[in-house]
Amino acid sequence: MTLKPFVRSAAALVLGLVLSAAPSVASAAEESGGIASLGFNVPGLIAQLVNFTILLVVLRLALYKPLLKVLDERKRRIQEGVDRAAEAASAASASEAESRRILDEARAEGQQAIGRAQDAAARLREELEARARADAEGIVDRARAEVALERDQAIEALRREFAGLAVSAAEKVIEQSLDRQAHQRLIDQVLADGQLGQRG
Amino acid sequence: MKFLIAFGVIALMVGGFLFVKGPSPAIIIAPEHIFDIGPLVVTNTMFTSWCVVAILCTVAVIAGSSMSVVPHGFSGAVEAVVSGFYGIIVGVAGEANGRRFFWVIATIFFYVLASNYFGLLPMNNVFGRVEVGHGDKQVIFKEATIAGMKVAYIPINPEECEGAACPSYRAPVDGRGAAPAKAGETTMAAAKPAEHAEPIQYSGLISPAFRSVNTDVNAPLAIAIFSFIFVEYWGLTALGPSYLKKFFNFGALMRGKPMGIIDVFVGLLEFVSELSRMVSFTFRLFGNIFAGEVLLMMMSFLVPFVLVDIFFGLELFVGLVQAFVFAMLTLVFAQTAVSHHGGDDHGEAHGEGHH
Repeated sequence: MTLKPFVRSAAALVLGLVLSAAPSVASAAEESGGIASLGFNVPGLIAQLVNFTILLVVLRLALYKPLLKVLDERKRRIQEGVDRAAEAASAASASEAESRRILDEARAEGQQAIGRAQDAAARLREELEARARADAEGIVDRARAEVALERDQAIEALRREFAGLAVSAAEKVIEQSLDRQAHQRLIDQVLADGQLGQRG
Repeated sequence: MKFLIAFGVIALMVGGFLFVKGPSPAIIIAPEHIFDIGPLVVTNTMFTSWCVVAILCTVAVIAGSSMSVVPHGFSGAVEAVVSGFYGIIVGVAGEANGRRFFWVIATIFFYVLASNYFGLLPMNNVFGRVEVGHGDKQVIFKEATIAGMKVAYIPINPEECEGAACPSYRAPVDGRGAAPAKAGETTMAAAKPAEHAEPIQYSGLISPAFRSVNTDVNAPLAIAIFSFIFVEYWGLTALGPSYLKKFFNFGALMRGKPMGIIDVFVGLLEFVSELSRMVSFTFRLFGNIFAGEVLLMMMSFLVPFVLVDIFFGLELFVGLVQAFVFAMLTLVFAQTAVSHHGGDDHGEAHGEGHH
């Protein structure tokens, strides 16, 4: 309480006292049987005024001030809490939307990655298949060539063996007479005519 | 079971009526003197009001010092009550004005309420100081004492009491009663001893140490004066000097309009009604509480048990209503004083309708 309103209220109090007490006192003085018989008396009134003043001051300082402060403080805090809750709710909904967006993005990305991986895998499989097929063909070709070579060699060996056999057989049949070179020539001719190596 | 209860209640009422007669109560309007502090004559209502103020201040200090944002315990309860009343005030007068008016209105309400309820406690009008030669219409008195405390002068029938059969007759030793001067008033008691040559008998009463505060006309008057002062103060600070125009309205007359005399007359009426509020405030509260006290005293004299409880309940209600009416009327007058007055003031008309 600043000084000025206090002084003003004190002045008002004095004024009110004078205003209110004057007629009563006057009438009490005029007819002492009237209002005085109801128990009105100035010391009693002053005592009650003082009483009430004390009560006003004490209650105001001790009770109403802290009470109003607490009420205001509580109101402020509740307001703050409500504001904060609204803020939190809006933040929560924003973050939910954000997280949903992120999730959607991630899902799309995942789908893309899977698709890419599947493509790559398919390509790889085809490549591998092609290579494997080529390898297999190479192996078969080589094997075929080897078989052909071995057959030719076997045929050659057989022919030589057979020629030897035929010569020895002919020697045995004819016993001699023919020199060796003539024989060989004869045999070769027979063989060439016989076309043994051509078939097969 | 129900029958037993009903029987017990009736037995209590009848038995109380027949056998437990207290002393017939003396109805005295003025507060009684009980002791002195220096030059100050302390009356019982004054003493009781000190007790009430002390209780309220203690409650306020205890509750106010432990007030916290999270309400708990005793201060939480006090806070709930006071802030509930604060809510009513703000609801009537609005936030800004309600805050200005609150401390005075609430103090009026809680002081009147506490005084009225304190006046209903059983120690009121029971024990106190012997006051000889005070009561007038009673006959002869015997002093009753319980545990060293003087509780009553019991009137006894002079015919029943002959000479030595009445050892408790006694002449007052206290000079304060101005016994010889008042002896003439104590009619029968004074007349009796002349025949029998007994010691002179005096009428006498107990001035109770506690008596409901508002049975003393000074107490409501003091609160009414404060109500008046604060209403005018708020009106002046809210409206400035233009507030006084309500009472001293010479404007139209000065401008040469003869009908302006009506404004002057209306202002005069306003002024008188403003002052008469104090009187109506005072006697509304005083009358209600004093009548209540007389009612309670007579009922507890006639039917000491059970039936009197109904009247205690009634007085609880009256005490609350009177406190509320006093506070709310002050609030309404204050609200009228601070608002710009276009038409005439209806506040008093509302006020008189209440009681």
